[in-house]
Amino acid sequence: MIELCDVTKTYNPQGAPVHALYQANLRVNEGEFAAIVGPSGSGKSTLLSVIGAMNPPTQGSMLVDGIDVYSLSVEKQADFRHEYLGFVFQQLQLLPYLTALENVLLGLAIARMRRADKVQRAREVLARVGLAGKEDRLPGELSGGEQGRVAVGRALVNEPPLILADEPTGNLDSNTGVQILTLLQELNAAGHTVLMVTHDAQATTYAQRIIPILDGRLVDGDHDITKNENPAINGNGKR
Amino acid sequence: MRLYDISLKGLRRRLGRMLLLLLSLATAVATLVTLVTITRSMNHSVAHRMDEFGANIVIVPQASDLAVSYGGITVGSAAYDVGVLMLADLEPIGSIRNARNVSVLAPKLVSAVSLESREVLMAGVIFPDEIRLKQWWQVHGAYPVGATDAPVATLGGHRAMAQMEAGVSGADQAVLGSRLAHELGLAPGDMLVVEGRNLQIVGVLEENGSQDDQILFVDLTLAQQIAHRPGEINLVEIAALCSDCPVEELVRQISEVLPQGRVTAVRQAVTLRAETVDQLTRFAVVVSAVVTLIGGLIVLTTMLGAVTERRHEIGLFRALGFRRAHIERVILGEALVISLAGGIVGWAAGMGVVALLRPTIDELAMTSPWDPALALAALGGTLVVGLAGSLYPALRAAALDPVTALRAL
Repeated sequence: MIELCDVTKTYNPQGAPVHALYQANLRVNEGEFAAIVGPSGSGKSTLLSVIGAMNPPTQGSMLVDGIDVYSLSVEKQADFRHEYLGFVFQQLQLLPYLTALENVLLGLAIARMRRADKVQRAREVLARVGLAGKEDRLPGELSGGEQGRVAVGRALVNEPPLILADEPTGNLDSNTGVQILTLLQELNAAGHTVLMVTHDAQATTYAQRIIPILDGRLVDGDHDITKNENPAINGNGKR
Repeated sequence: MRLYDISLKGLRRRLGRMLLLLLSLATAVATLVTLVTITRSMNHSVAHRMDEFGANIVIVPQASDLAVSYGGITVGSAAYDVGVLMLADLEPIGSIRNARNVSVLAPKLVSAVSLESREVLMAGVIFPDEIRLKQWWQVHGAYPVGATDAPVATLGGHRAMAQMEAGVSGADQAVLGSRLAHELGLAPGDMLVVEGRNLQIVGVLEENGSQDDQILFVDLTLAQQIAHRPGEINLVEIAALCSDCPVEELVRQISEVLPQGRVTAVRQAVTLRAETVDQLTRFAVVVSAVVTLIGGLIVLTTMLGAVTERRHEIGLFRALGFRRAHIERVILGEALVISLAGGIVGWAAGMGVVALLRPTIDELAMTSPWDPALALAALGGTLVVGLAGSLYPALRAAALDPVTALRAL
């Protein structure tokens, strides 16, 4: 599904270059729930932005279903994000002046659909993430967990094959974090591929596959995927 | 949720800032609407008054080859003209297409007469028309009897004819130019003998620096009798109101109905009028340009500020798959709404100011300020300024790197 081939991302290449990513190779298969794990500054957010078609690599390529995304025009890359990806940001990035329903509808703002169909789908998605009846609430009127659900709903509303989650539990209390992770797990079970970056070891227990990253290097790379030994994955816990 | 919904929501989100922008645009539009309305009224008024004030068209007999100067206007020779123009010939002027533009029509017979062993110019005029044409005339004494009645020749000639034939309008009374009176030692109340006719001097014109200072003015009929040229005229001065039609067009129309006359526009009057109107228009254009520029700069800085404030939001839109054109449409959509509202409010405010000023500015009373073209121009102009001022901010927003949104996390 997604394949990174020798991807290097270098910041400040003219001065003192910093390799945020260095010769990263990675394959994410359809239906996987993978967690990229590493400490702060290890390059995991850069990796996510590269996979998110927003940050072209300095070297290497990213193939999606065999197509080199960064060889496409900027506008086609935008189309790719719209049709293929759903983002869940660390800060959730909900617009405070839009209701829960409107925040979810943002994901459909440029979709070629009838207005009524958009609203219906957004309501269905909100119901799916457990927010039925709270469509007209502003983010400020929702709890942290509910806000996270709205963010997941927005990522989900366009029915993307791949959901990218950047530290989805980063600013949440543990209970709310669990709710979001459980939701991502449910989405994965429903067929969505989920790729999450996190530095939270507890969060990785929800993933099927862990990809460690350190100083911009994927430690085990594409061929040495670390199977999660966590009981949550192996039937003793949450899954 | 569509792009314009995002624009509207964005406006509501930054209501205070956007209201200030709307107010700025509305103020600029109101200023322009007021300025344009007043300037246009003043242009109309100035043009109207200048047209009324002195002749801008003269007619002389067609075949005059030799020339003398009268009142700064080159006319056919009084003594030697060979063409003949009759007062009755003027009647068709009343039926030309732009007859309503003819404000004053002052026919005269100018001829040389002997006065105390010297030759002077005698102008036979229809005093009511002549006085209306030469509003700068000031007289010591009085004008001939009936001279201040309503102008007659203006109405097309036929009433003038009737009145002349009836022998009214101060026959046997004369008005002297100031220098002629001084040289002859004559004053109001004195008598004068011209070609055997006793004339009473009823008034002496104040010196005005024109050839009128050396002319003897008498009633047209009397002049025709003295010169033994009944019904004849050799000069017609016309004050035409040319604010809504070019003087050249009037000249053409009069020439068509008066083939026996040579009709010419008085170039200096036309030029002076055009220059005066141009100056007013230029003033309005310069002020309008400055106001428009300021309005555009306010839009530019406000929208740039809004884009900077919303860069994370714009990054989010880009992350969600918005194309650059979508971002531009969101920003320009906001500008469109603000500009439209600013244009409507500004136009209404401008009209309100004009209505308030109407009782105090005479010129405004002469024209109707309710001009749909001005309303459309105000709206269109505001849209152009608003969109042009927002274009750079919109392009800048569209060019924002989407990864900015992730970096903000």
